[in-house]
Amino acid sequence: MNDLELIASSAVRLSLPLAFAAAGEYVAERAGTLNISVEAMMLGGAFCAVTGASITGSASLGLLAGIAAGLLVAFVHGTFSHRLAVNTYVVGLTLNVLVLGLTSFLAESAKATGHQVDVLRIPLLADVPTLGPVLFAHRWPAFLLVGIVPLVWWLVHRSRWGLEIRASGESPQSADVSGIDVNRRRRQALLVCGLLAGLGGAYLAVGEVGSFNQDMTAGRGYIVIAAVIFGGWTLRGTLAGCLLFGATDALRLALPALGYALNPQLLISAPYLLALIAMLVFAKSRQGPAALGTPFIRGIT
Amino acid sequence: MRSSSTAGAAADSAVAPAVEMQGITKGFGRVVACDRVELSVGRGEIHGLLGQNGAGKSTLMKILLGLVMPDAGRILVNGNPTAITDPLIAAKAGIAMVHQHFSLVPALRVWENVTLGERGRVDREQARRLVREVGERYGLEVDPDTKVADLSTGQRQRVEIIKCLRRDPALLILDEPTSMLTLAESRELFTVLRRAVQDEDKTIILISHKLDEIVHATDRVTIMRGGAVVARRETAQTDVRELAREMVGRELSKWTAATAVGTMDALVTPAAASSSSEGEVRLRITDAHANAPDGRPLLRGLSLEVRAGEILGLAGVEGNGQTAVGDLLSSLLELDRGSVEVCGGAVSAGRPGAMHAAGVGVVPEDRHVSGCVLDMSVAENLVLADLGQVSGRGFVSPRRLRAHAERLIGEFDIAVPSPDTPMRLLSGGNQQKVVLARELAAQPKVLVVAQPTRGLDVGAIEYLTERVYRAAENGIAVLLISTELEEILTLAHRVAVIHRGAVIGEMSRADVDVERLGLMMGGQAA
Repeated sequence: MNDLELIASSAVRLSLPLAFAAAGEYVAERAGTLNISVEAMMLGGAFCAVTGASITGSASLGLLAGIAAGLLVAFVHGTFSHRLAVNTYVVGLTLNVLVLGLTSFLAESAKATGHQVDVLRIPLLADVPTLGPVLFAHRWPAFLLVGIVPLVWWLVHRSRWGLEIRASGESPQSADVSGIDVNRRRRQALLVCGLLAGLGGAYLAVGEVGSFNQDMTAGRGYIVIAAVIFGGWTLRGTLAGCLLFGATDALRLALPALGYALNPQLLISAPYLLALIAMLVFAKSRQGPAALGTPFIRGIT
Repeated sequence: MRSSSTAGAAADSAVAPAVEMQGITKGFGRVVACDRVELSVGRGEIHGLLGQNGAGKSTLMKILLGLVMPDAGRILVNGNPTAITDPLIAAKAGIAMVHQHFSLVPALRVWENVTLGERGRVDREQARRLVREVGERYGLEVDPDTKVADLSTGQRQRVEIIKCLRRDPALLILDEPTSMLTLAESRELFTVLRRAVQDEDKTIILISHKLDEIVHATDRVTIMRGGAVVARRETAQTDVRELAREMVGRELSKWTAATAVGTMDALVTPAAASSSSEGEVRLRITDAHANAPDGRPLLRGLSLEVRAGEILGLAGVEGNGQTAVGDLLSSLLELDRGSVEVCGGAVSAGRPGAMHAAGVGVVPEDRHVSGCVLDMSVAENLVLADLGQVSGRGFVSPRRLRAHAERLIGEFDIAVPSPDTPMRLLSGGNQQKVVLARELAAQPKVLVVAQPTRGLDVGAIEYLTERVYRAAENGIAVLLISTELEEILTLAHRVAVIHRGAVIGEMSRADVDVERLGLMMGGQAA
C-alpha cells in the first residue's frame, strides 16, 4: 500500500461510523428535530456494544446492544421533546453530558474484554488494485450500509411514512390539519435516528477499535450534524459530507506520520469550518426543513 | 334509508337537510361563542354563513368538523343524529373543509400534498392522475408535479380544493375562500362551486363577510351576530342592503355596560360634534403595498391621514390588513411601495425603532406577544420603550426606575401591589394600562391603538376609552384600529373602512350610516 492508498483507506474507515449516524440524523432532521443527542446515541451505542460483546462473548450481539442503547436515548429524547414539549436542545445537551458521564464511570468500574467483528473481504473485488482494499475489505457491518442507504432514501422519499415526516418537518401545522400525528412521526423519526446512530457508535467500538475508552466518539455526533448541514439536507450530500470529514480526519492522523508539519488542531476544526462555508453557499438555495428545531404544540390556529 | 325503510321514511330522507345543527351552544370561559344556534343546510345548495368576527361562524364550523366539542345541542347528518367527536367522524360523514389558512406544505409537490393524510402506499402515478382528473372535472387545472411553493395563491387554493374534493365529500365548507384571491380568481372559484353543486349534488357552506359573494354565489343565507343566528333568508329575496343591516345590527347603541355607566354619552357627544379637520396632518400613509414573507398580499395600496387632535377609527372585518397597519407603524413591516410620513417627515418603514423615534406610540393588538414582557416587573415594562430616562452611563438606576414607575402607576391608576410585581400577575386591564402608560409617557405625536379593549372587563374598557379620548384632546393624533364597530363609533371623529388591504371609504362620525358602513365592511364601495 502506498501513502495515498493508506490515507484513502483510513478515510473510508473513519467515515463509516459517521455514515450510519448521519443517515439517521438525516431522517430526524427531515422530520423537524435538530437532534443534538446523536452524540449521546453514538457514545451510548459504543459503550453498550463493547459491554454487550464482553458479556455475551459475541461482537455481533454487541452490535445489537449498541442499537438498543441508541434507541433508548432516542426514546428519552422523543418523550421529552415531542411529548412534553421540552426544548429539544436542552434535552439533547443534557443527554450528551449524562451519557458521557455515565459511560466514563461505568467503563472505569467494569472492565470489558475486547471483542471485534470480523473483516469481510468481498471476493475478487477486494483484489482490485487500489480500489479493492479501500472499498471492499472492511469489518462486515460496514456492508450493511449498502442496504441501509437506499432503504433510508426510499423510506424518506417514496414511502407514505416519509411523506408524512417531511410534511412534519416542513409545515407541522398543515400536516396536523391533514390528519397526521406530527409529534408521533417525529418520535418515530428519532427512533430511526437512534437505531442508526447506535449502530454507528457500536461499529466504531466493536468494528474499528475493538474496545471502549472514555469519550471515544469525541464529538463525532456533532460532525454528523455538520455533515447533514453540509449536505444541504439531502442524503447524497450528507454522505459526501461524511466522506469529506472522514478524509480530513484521516489526513490529521496521517500527515504527521508522513512528515508534514500541519497543525492537527486546525484539521479538527475543518469539518465545522466546511459546514459553515456550506451554509454560506447554500444560504439562499438549500435551506433546511422550515420547521427544523421548532416544537409542535397542537392547537387550533 | 336502509332496506327496511318504508315509503314514508324514504320521503323523509329525501327532504331531510344534508346537515342540521340544533341548539348548538359553546362557551369559552365567560365568552359565549355560540348561543343555541340552529342551522339547516339543504342538500344540493350553497348556503352562505354571514357575519362579522366573533359572530361565531368559525366556532360553529369547527363544531361541525369535530375540532371543537359543543356544550349542548345536536347535529343531524341526512336526518340521522351524529355525534361528531373527532375530525375522522366528520370525514366519514362526508364533511370536509377548505381551510382559510392553507393546509398545504409548500416544500412538497402538488400530488404529494393531495395524497397527504391518506393511508396506504404512496402511488405517485395514481395521485398525479387524480389531480388531473379532479382538476378537469371541476375546471381546476394545475400541474401535479409543481412544488406548491412555486404556485400563486389562487393556484394554491385550487390544490386545496382538489385535496378536499378527491375524498368525495358530500358537504364542503369554505371559510373565507376569497380573502387572498383576485377578483377573477374569485369568480372562477364560484363557477367551480356551482358546478360541484349542480353536477355532483354536493352541498356547500360558504363562510364569508363579503356581501356580494353571498348575494351572487349562495342559494340561502344564515346571518349570525354575537354568537346567535339573527336572520335566515332566501338569497333571491334579499339584497346587500338588508344583509348589511343584519350583519352589523340594527341598533348600534348596545355598547353594553359602558353606556349604562353613563360616562360614554358625555364623551361621545363632543367627539361627534367637533370637527377636527383643522389640525395638522401628523400621520400620512400613502399607497402602501406590502406582502407577507410567503407572498400573500397584506396591504394593497392603503392610504390614510390622521390629524392632530382627532381619532381616526379604522373599521373592518378582521384579516383585511389591520394587523399589517399595526405592524407597519411598529416598524415591523417593510413596504414594497408607498410611504409613511410622520409630522411631514418621511420615515423609513421596517427599520427597527424608526417609527418610535419619529414619535409614533403603539399599543399593539396582542399585548402578550408584543406589548409587554410578562416575566419582567411592572416597573421594567414601564420603561421598556425608553431606557434613556432612567439610566446614565450605561447603567439603569434602580431608584429612578422605581420613581418613574411609581409616578406612572399613580397617574394611570394601575392596580398593582408594588412596581416590582411581575407583569404576569396583573389582570388584562391593568396590563393594558401599563402598555398605554408607557406609550403615552414617551409623549408621542401619533398614538396607534389596536384592538385596545379586546378581552377586557367593562371597567377597564371604560378607563381605556376615556384615556384614548383624552390623548386626542391633548393634541395627539390617534389611530384606533378595531374590529369592534361600537368601539369605533364611540370614540372616533372619523371612520375609515379597511377592506382587502386598502381603505375603501371614509366618513365623519356625524355622517355615519350603519347600512353604508356595513356595505363597505362587506367590500362594497359605497
